[in-house]
Amino acid sequence: MRSFRIVLTGHGTLPGSLLGTTEMICGPVADMSAVGLAGGETPDHFADELRAAIGHDGRRVLVLCDLLGGTPFNVASAIARRSPRVICVSGMNLAMSVEAALADGDLDDLMVDRLLEAGRSGIVETERHRARRVS
Amino acid sequence: MSLRLVRIDDRLIHGQVIAVWLRALGAQRIVIVDDNTARDEFLREVLTLASPPGVPVEVLGVNEGALRCIELAAAPEPVMVLARTPRTVLALRQAGVPIEVVDLGGLGAGPGRKRLHKTISVSPDELRELRELEELGTRVEVQIVADDRPIPFRSIDRG
Repeated sequence: MRSFRIVLTGHGTLPGSLLGTTEMICGPVADMSAVGLAGGETPDHFADELRAAIGHDGRRVLVLCDLLGGTPFNVASAIARRSPRVICVSGMNLAMSVEAALADGDLDDLMVDRLLEAGRSGIVETERHRARRVS
Repeated sequence: MSLRLVRIDDRLIHGQVIAVWLRALGAQRIVIVDDNTARDEFLREVLTLASPPGVPVEVLGVNEGALRCIELAAAPEPVMVLARTPRTVLALRQAGVPIEVVDLGGLGAGPGRKRLHKTISVSPDELRELRELEELGTRVEVQIVADDRPIPFRSIDRG
């Protein structure tokens, strides 16, 4: 059982699409939602939406953000800095969201390490990747 | 000396748009003038995070902002001033801030708001405030990104 909630966030339709695709791979995922920043949306309006998705029930929440330094990340990290139950990670991708969706247990340091590793380990260039695998 | 450009954008600082504008103006400093934002510590942090590295952001209320803008207008350093509403810019102008051009960069649509141009909608009050700015000798233009040709407010304000 995963004890924490997951919120995917980012620009436009990316978070909603990533949620749909994650469920295509994993089947229906409980406690995972998506919040996209619409074009023209103000940061304070977006912050209200993100806070609502994070919830106020005291549960730990993992917020995955699409882009380091973008408004969704800036808002999420400002929330996380004020709320230790919220962990904010940038650079989300399908590998990371699948890993998070299927995760078991609590949102501790080990879990965060695993998610970062899942996100990074799939970023390769094929020739270099092959060379490393055969050597 | 006067401020070259004050931009009205209800999103204030947002990503690449502002990075390109800063480069176009040669500005190394952003001054945000907005009473609500100046009082909101959370929003201040988000906006500071949104500015490009090495570009300091000052977030000030209208009274403090007017004094700071007068000071900055007299200095040689180019600065980008951002406001959320025409009312704020009018208040700055009335407080004696010399402003050459006001750029309408983003004003959201909503009930009771009239669309002037693509992403620029205004309330009747805002329309009056923009006209007043022009009467005070400040040019009002629409220029959403720095590469657009500026559109004079007068050419799209048809009562």
